[in-house]
Amino acid sequence: MPPTSATQPVDPTSGGPGADWAPFKPGPWVVPESPGFAHLLAKLPGLPAVVFAHRDLVFSAVVRELRARFQGTLLGWLWPLVYPIFMFGVYYFIFAELLQVKMPNITPEQKPAMGIFMFVGVVVWTGFAEGVLRAGNVIVENGNLIKKLSFPTELLPLNVVLVSLTTMMFGVGIFVAVLWLSIAGRELGIFETALWPDAPGIGLLWIPVLLVVQLLFTYGLGLILATMQVFLRDTMQLASILVLTWMFVTPVFWVASEKVIPGISPYLDTLALNPLLHLLNCWRHVLMVAQPAIAFDGQPAFLHSLGVFATCGAVLFVVGYLFFLRSQRRFADEV
Amino acid sequence: MAGINYGVEAENLGKAYRLYASPFRRVVEAATLGRVSGHQQFWALRNIDFKLRRGSSMGLCGANGAGKSTLLKVLSGITAPSEGRLRLNGRVASLLELGAGFHLDFSGRSNIMLNGVMMGFTRREMTARMGEIIDFAELGKYIDEPVRTYSSGMGLRLGFAIAIAIDPEILIIDEVFAVGDMYFQKKCVDRIYDFKRRGKTILFCSHSLYDIRQLCDEAIWVREGRSAALGDALFVTNEYTSYQRQHIDDASRALEAMVPKASGFADGLPDELPQVRDARVYRLGTDEETYEVHTGDAIEIRVWWENPDPAAMPIHIGIGFLRQDSTIAAGVGTHIDGQRLKGKSGCTILCIPKLPLLAGQFLMPIVLFDEGGVHRYHESLVPENLMVRARTKDVGLVYIDHGWDLDGAHPLPGESHVPARKTPAARR
Repeated sequence: MPPTSATQPVDPTSGGPGADWAPFKPGPWVVPESPGFAHLLAKLPGLPAVVFAHRDLVFSAVVRELRARFQGTLLGWLWPLVYPIFMFGVYYFIFAELLQVKMPNITPEQKPAMGIFMFVGVVVWTGFAEGVLRAGNVIVENGNLIKKLSFPTELLPLNVVLVSLTTMMFGVGIFVAVLWLSIAGRELGIFETALWPDAPGIGLLWIPVLLVVQLLFTYGLGLILATMQVFLRDTMQLASILVLTWMFVTPVFWVASEKVIPGISPYLDTLALNPLLHLLNCWRHVLMVAQPAIAFDGQPAFLHSLGVFATCGAVLFVVGYLFFLRSQRRFADEV
Repeated sequence: MAGINYGVEAENLGKAYRLYASPFRRVVEAATLGRVSGHQQFWALRNIDFKLRRGSSMGLCGANGAGKSTLLKVLSGITAPSEGRLRLNGRVASLLELGAGFHLDFSGRSNIMLNGVMMGFTRREMTARMGEIIDFAELGKYIDEPVRTYSSGMGLRLGFAIAIAIDPEILIIDEVFAVGDMYFQKKCVDRIYDFKRRGKTILFCSHSLYDIRQLCDEAIWVREGRSAALGDALFVTNEYTSYQRQHIDDASRALEAMVPKASGFADGLPDELPQVRDARVYRLGTDEETYEVHTGDAIEIRVWWENPDPAAMPIHIGIGFLRQDSTIAAGVGTHIDGQRLKGKSGCTILCIPKLPLLAGQFLMPIVLFDEGGVHRYHESLVPENLMVRARTKDVGLVYIDHGWDLDGAHPLPGESHVPARKTPAARR
C-alpha cells in the first residue's frame, strides 16, 4: 500500500483529502488472463447472487420486452397465443386431417384428444425454440449496449429465455382455463360434453419444477449459441435450421407410439435420447392428466422423463454458463 | 481500509485487438486450439501506467483514434486488458456514450429506471433518486415523453443526470461536454467540483484542453496508444499543445513557400539589398539560447542584419509572433517605436522582460522594412519556433497582467446622479 506522500500536490478545489471520506474497499485486480477453469467453476454458485443483485434489471427487462412486443399492436397481450394457435391450426389440419395421424380407440368424450395433444406440444416447443433462438442472438443484437455499458452480460440471454417462458405460460394458463371452463360448463349443464374428461388438478403443482428445469436447459443452450454467435455469425443461421429439424424429430405433432404410428417401434429407443421428448412428455402428463391413455401408451413415466430432462438441463446449463463466462470478456471486442 | 489512497490504479496496461482476415481463419485457429494463428494483433493501447489519487480528476487528451476511448473502455471494465493490470477502488459509473442503453420508445422516466438497474441498482434506489435526476436534467414535461423525441442535448442531460445521481466513487466520462448548452455545462462542472470535494475520482476524455486544464489535476496525453505525457494537467496540456508540430510544420512550409527561411539567409539575394543574417532567442541578458520558455520569462531576440547602403536604403526591423493557427499574437517594429538602425551591419536586440504569451508554439517572422515600414526588403523566420508553456490556467493568447478588487464601491453607472427609484415617474 503506497503511503501518502507529503509532496503530492493537493488540488485547491478538492479541499484536500477529507477525513470524512468513506473508506474504500480495494477492488479486485483486473488482469488479462482468462479466468481458469477452477475460477470459473467457483463463479457458478455466484449466478443466483448476480441475478439477485440485478433482479430489478431482469425484472424490468422482461416486463419491458413483453410490453415492447405488444405495445401498439391491435391484439396486444393476445399475441403470445396467436402463434401457437396458428401453428396448431396448420399442423392439426396437415397431420390430423390430411395424414390421419390420430389416436385410435378413444372414447367420444376424448375426441379433441389429438388437438389437445398437439396444442400442448406446440406451446411448449415454441417456448423452448423461441427462447433458444433469441438467446443465441441477444449478445450480438445488443452489441452497442455491451460496448458501452459494463454489466453482467449473462443476464441478457436469461432475460429473453424468461420472456419466452412467460409467453409460454400465457398459453398454458389459457389452456388450463379453457379446460376448466368447459368442465364447469358440463357440470352446470351448459355443454353436453366437456373438451376434456378431467380437469388438470394437483399435478399443476409440478409446473414450477418443470419451468426451472426448462429454464436451465434453454438458458444453457442459449448461452452456448450466444457465445458462438459472437465469434462466428454462421452459428444462428445453422441453429435455426437445426431447431426446425429438432422440432420434427420431437413428438410435437405426432405420437411416439406404435399404436398411432405403426412401424415406429424400432426407433423409439433412439427417439427417447431426445431430451425434448421427455420435456413434452412431462408437460403432457401434467396438463392432460394422463388422458387419454393411448397418448401415454408406451411413454416414459413422468418422473423418469423429469429425471432425464433435469439431468440434461443441469449439465447443459453448467457447460453453457462456463463456456459463456470464459469468453464473456472478449464480447465487447467482437460484437 | 486506511491506506487505499488511489481510486484508479493502472499498471502497464495494454489492449490488443485481434484482426481476422476472414471468419475461416478464426475457425482454423479455434479448431487447432490456437496452434495455427489466424489473426493479426493490433495494439490499440500499450504501456499505460498511472495511479490516480482519490478525490482527484484526470483528463485524457489526444487526437482521434489515439486510444483514449479504448483506455476508458478498459478502465470501466467493458473490455479486458491484454496486458498489465488495473484496479478500481470503489463503485464505478461510466458514461461512454450519450444515451447508451436508452430505449427510445420509452419515456425519460422509464429510462431512468432502466438505465439505473442496468448499472446494478435496485428499483427502490432508483425511485429514491428519481426526483433528483429529473430536477437535474431539467427536461420539464419531456420527462414523460419517449426518448425518441429528445434532442441530443436532452439525451445528454438525462444521461449525465443519471450517471452522477447514482453517486459513484469513480466516474468515467467520454467527451460529454461536447454537447449541451453553456448553462448545462456549468451545472455539470459544478457537480464535478462537488464530486471532487467529496473524495470521488473522475476520469474524463475531452478535446477541450481548456476543460482539462480547468477540471483536472492530472492529465494523460495518449498518442498512438502510448502515454506521451502524464502528470500535472497543465504540464500535459502544454506538452500536447506544443506537439502539434505537425500542423506547425505545415504552417512553416506554407510560409517558407512565400518567405525564404532564415537558414537560407543570403541565398540568392542580390548583395546590394538589406538582409537578415541570423536571428536567435536568448534568455534576457545571458548567452543561453533557448526556445522553450514559460509565460512571464525574460527573453531577448537578437537579429543580425546587413545593409549595404544605409544612406540610400534606411531599414527597420519588424518581429512578429505567429501562433500555429496563424493567429498573429503580436508584432513589434523599430519603425513603430521610432528607433533607427545605423551602419552597414549590426545586431539588434529585442528585449522582452516579461513574455506575455500563453501556451503555444509561435513562429517568429523577421522582416526588414523600408523607411516607411511598407516595402519589405527581406523576410525570414527565426530558425526555431518558440515553445511557450503556461504556468497558470489563464485562457487565450496572452497573459494580461492583472489584479482584482473585490470591494469596488462604485454605483451602477446611470444611477449615480439620479437615483431612479426616487423619481415618481419611474415608480409608475
